Formats: sequence, C-alpha cells, structure tokens
Amino acid sequence: MKINVSRHQIYVLLLCIFLLLFVVVFSFGLLIPEGKSYRIKRVEVKKAQQEYDKYKNFHDETFDKLKNLQGKHRRIITALDRPFSVERFTKLYRENFSSLKIAKIQRVTDEEGFSVYEVNTSSQITSPVNFYDFLDALNKGDWIIGVNFPIKFARDGEMIHSSFTMKVYENNRDKNSSASGSSAK
Amino acid sequence: MKYSYIKPRKKSPFTADVQLIITFFSMTFIMLFTTYAFLLFKNYTFTQDRQALISSTIDLQNSIDEMDRKIAYIKKQKDLAEKVFTQNMVLKDSITNLFDLVPERITLSRAELLKNGLILYGITPSKDVYNFMLLAPLRSIFQKTYSSFYPQKNGWLRFVSTNYINEDDTEELDSEN
Repeated sequence: MKINVSRHQIYVLLLCIFLLLFVVVFSFGLLIPEGKSYRIKRVEVKKAQQEYDKYKNFHDETFDKLKNLQGKHRRIITALDRPFSVERFTKLYRENFSSLKIAKIQRVTDEEGFSVYEVNTSSQITSPVNFYDFLDALNKGDWIIGVNFPIKFARDGEMIHSSFTMKVYENNRDKNSSASGSSAK
Repeated sequence: MKYSYIKPRKKSPFTADVQLIITFFSMTFIMLFTTYAFLLFKNYTFTQDRQALISSTIDLQNSIDEMDRKIAYIKKQKDLAEKVFTQNMVLKDSITNLFDLVPERITLSRAELLKNGLILYGITPSKDVYNFMLLAPLRSIFQKTYSSFYPQKNGWLRFVSTNYINEDDTEELDSEN
C-alpha cells in the first residue's frame, strides 16, 4: 500500500511541529518559572502586608497612648521644660508671703536624669497657713519644685520669718534634649 | 503554443489548512505572550510593593521605638513630679502636726525642721507643763530627745528641745517616698 503525501502537507506538518515545539519550550522555559515566581512573590507581598498591618495597628495604639499621656501630663511636661525665673516665681507666689527673697540659683548634682537647681528662700509670713497655701500652690505651679529641709521658722514680732531651700527640677537638656523637646509639643 | 484551453489557477502556499494552523497558533502565541507580559508586570509590581512595605514597616518600627522612648520619659517625668508633690504634701502635714503638737501654754520662738530631726526654741511657764504637754508627744515621735532650760526674769523658762529620729528610719522613709 502506497501512502501518497504531498510535499505541501509535509511542510505544513513540519510547521506545526516547529510551532508546537516553540510553544512547549516557551511555556516550560519562561512561562511556568515566571508563574511560580508570581505565586511566591504574591505570598511574600501578602506576608509583608500582614506584617505592615500589624505594625501599623501597634503604631496607632502607641501613638494614641503617647498623645493621651502627653495630654494628661501636659502641665508636668511643660513645667519640666520651663527654665526657672526668679522674677516670675516672685510674682506668682508673692501673695502667700509678706515678703519674699530668692537667693541665687545653683545647679546641684543631677537626680534621676533631671537637672536640679537649688534656690534659697527667705520670707515672712503672718501665719503658718500662708506656708501651707504656698505648698499647695507650688504643686499646681509652673515648675516642679520641692521644698527641702532644713526649714526654719522664727518669730519676728507679729510675723514669722521662714527660710528654706527649694529644689527646682528641669529636663536635663544634655541627655534628654530630643525626648523633652518633642514631648512638650 | 497553448496546451490547455483553461487558464492556470494561481497556487498559494496559504491554503485553508495553513490559514487554520496560523490562526490557531497566532491565538496561542497572543495568549502566551499576554500571560507572560502580565506575569512580568505583576512580578515587578510585587517586588516594588514588597520593598515599599518593608521600608514602611521599618519606618513604623523606628517610629514605635521613638514613641516608646518618649512614653518612658513622660512616665519618668510623671513619677518625679508625683514624688516631689508627695514630698511637699508630707512636709505640709509635718508642719501642721508640729504646730498642732505645741500646746497653747507654750510659746514657740523658733523651730527648725531637719531631715532627721526637729529643734524647738520657746518659752514655757514651768518644766512640768513642758514635760507633760510637749515632751511626751515629742518622745512618741523621736528616738532621741534632749531638752535644756534657761530661767527668765519673770519666772518662766526658755527651753531648747532637740529631737532626732534614727538614721535608719529616715532612710526607710526616703525609700518609701
């Protein structure tokens, strides 16, 4: 039996085989590796997105916490950032005393990372109640000030002469400059 | 010289079969190249997105660290302020208690509040009044109490009362604050 195949049909067959081979080589050589890479990268992006979302939530929570703390303790933060002024102190607390004298400010050793300045004060009061009011006002004042021992009271006619040392606390600008600067905003 | 009465028909290599094959393979190639181009584009965007996400995550991490540092510092500021405010209030109570301690019959001329003690200067009508009305409460507070008396022309006594508490107790109080 003789198979009668024309030259044209052979060419067509060869073309088909060639194109099919190209499709197979292209698919296995480029398309499938690229597809695998696509799947891997998609998973990686998803993981990165999840990680980012996790950090974003935590960041938002921390930001809220910070803002809340800054709002809640604004007075303390501002007070520690404010440099001590003898004039302003005298103006603010003069009403608690009949006379008030503030000696020179001296920086003493740092305490818990904060700068501490010592101020010697001598004053005259009409009653100890004035001193209690002064201590109450000090806790609501513009600075963080602690009245320190020794405290001396001496009768001076109808008045009481009092002398005491105050410790004024401020942010240590050398160590905490960035933290204090930004937190006060 | 013609050998046939009909015109020869033009022969083309693009027969119906070849056209069908070309159409089929053309569509296949278009689909393959489109898919490949899509994959290339997506892989590029995924790489870019991933890098951007990693970079943003690092920025967030740094920002969180910075905020944690600020939170810790604010807490430190708050603790210090509360400690100072408490000390002031304790001091106020101490002074109130001191003045409440002194009976009306005894007049104070001077008082010195020390970290670990109290020195009182004053006038008392008699030693008994002093011992019963001032020394007794002072002894209940201070571990060491010394009193000196100096008679005055009017019969009253000028006194100096020096009172100390133990250093250990002072340190305990400090650590509690």
